[in-house]
Amino acid sequence: MTALVTAPAIDSGLGEELSADLAAAALVLARRFAAGATLWCLAPAWEPHAHHVAVEFVHPVIVGKRALPAVAVTGPDPVAALRVSAEPDDIVLAVAAADDPAVRSVMRRAPAWGLTTLWIGGGARPDPGAADHVLWLDDPDPRLPATGGFVLLYHLLWELTHVCFEHPGLLTPAASDCADLVCVTCRDEGRLGEVIVRRPDGHAAVRTAQGEELVATMLVDPVEPGDLVLVHAGTAISKLTDEARP
Amino acid sequence: MNEAAVNEAATQKPTAEATGFLYPFLDAEERDQDSLLADLAASARAKARESAALRRSTLEDCAGLVATAAGELARRLAAGGRIFTFGNGGSSTDAATLAALFARPPLGRPLPAWSLTADQAVLTALGNDLGFELVFARQLIAHGRNTDIAIAMSTSGSSKDLTAAFREARKRGMYTVGFSGYDGGEFAESRDVDVCFVVRSQSVHRIQEAQALLGYELWAAVHERLGEQGEY
Repeated sequence: MTALVTAPAIDSGLGEELSADLAAAALVLARRFAAGATLWCLAPAWEPHAHHVAVEFVHPVIVGKRALPAVAVTGPDPVAALRVSAEPDDIVLAVAAADDPAVRSVMRRAPAWGLTTLWIGGGARPDPGAADHVLWLDDPDPRLPATGGFVLLYHLLWELTHVCFEHPGLLTPAASDCADLVCVTCRDEGRLGEVIVRRPDGHAAVRTAQGEELVATMLVDPVEPGDLVLVHAGTAISKLTDEARP
Repeated sequence: MNEAAVNEAATQKPTAEATGFLYPFLDAEERDQDSLLADLAASARAKARESAALRRSTLEDCAGLVATAAGELARRLAAGGRIFTFGNGGSSTDAATLAALFARPPLGRPLPAWSLTADQAVLTALGNDLGFELVFARQLIAHGRNTDIAIAMSTSGSSKDLTAAFREARKRGMYTVGFSGYDGGEFAESRDVDVCFVVRSQSVHRIQEAQALLGYELWAAVHERLGEQGEY
């Protein structure tokens, strides 16, 4: 056995950056909930964390706090479960290492499904931009998931989210945020889509954040269901390599 | 909102978190998101400090009990005993994490442990037919041997289904370990509980965070004892 590693888990505290990330994530979460979103939780290697997050939101420990829709996504294929369950503008929260194949796959597909993504974990960090909000403990010990460090992070996320509900004026995004969103998703330079089904005529039904659309695939054929493509002006212009696919 | 109204709003929410009083103004016109974000971040840091202080003091307070429990767990596990963990709600998930740490550790030897909330069929059958109070006790009747170990995690330490399970475990000669919060609840007083770890806090969240670390410490101490006993 290596030496015990509890000291870092106790003493590292919460830095400026992580606390600011938590605050930003909580405000986004509150806004999404206020707009009717469901929170989908997954933690493939330590599934109890997904259940803990879900029960936290559905049945708050503090009397008088509102119950919010949160679901633990478990079982052998969380990617398939989320694909069929999650609706545009929902949220997915993963508690997992950066190399978890199912979580990586979900995070890559999330923009095509129109989801906001939060990723709690420890050790080596995910690639920049892998999720909208990355809440990370840098302790590389593989036993970190069992020390309560992640429990603290999602407890704080829950607590801050409920503080946001006391500020109804801030639950609709500021105008500048909307503008940013439109820039990214509407100028149509290349929106992410996931192939649902191939058509025989050089087209495919593709799922994007805007819904399902028929897209010409002659530039990228052959495509298979589950492939991720960049859609521009009704055409799939490139296929994303899928090194993280489980 | 005038001051009296603010005070009234604050007293109407006695169960809300301590930060609630900072934000009593339910202002639909509020637009200053930066100020809220700064408050949220400061609140997160304060709560994290509180959590760290509680975890540190809990480990110190419980060091002797952890050693006692680890010694008996190691003895029983070496003799073929198994660990059953259980709890309600969030505590059930922390109990399941502890079982997973024993059974599928990222480092070290796997040891037989499982969570009594893992099987929905068993849980709903017992809840429906016998009442929720017996969902864990009945499972221990089915599984428990006098070499086994029962570990329950709870913040109140008084949940009826958990105390009933400990009563059954005691009857069957199992070793019993309770995690509780506040003042320890019934676990702390019960003769059915061999070792009771009490996290002295009034916050369910901070209690659970400290209990998770205590569980981890217990696991680590068990492995140290198994190493000393030449079980590696």
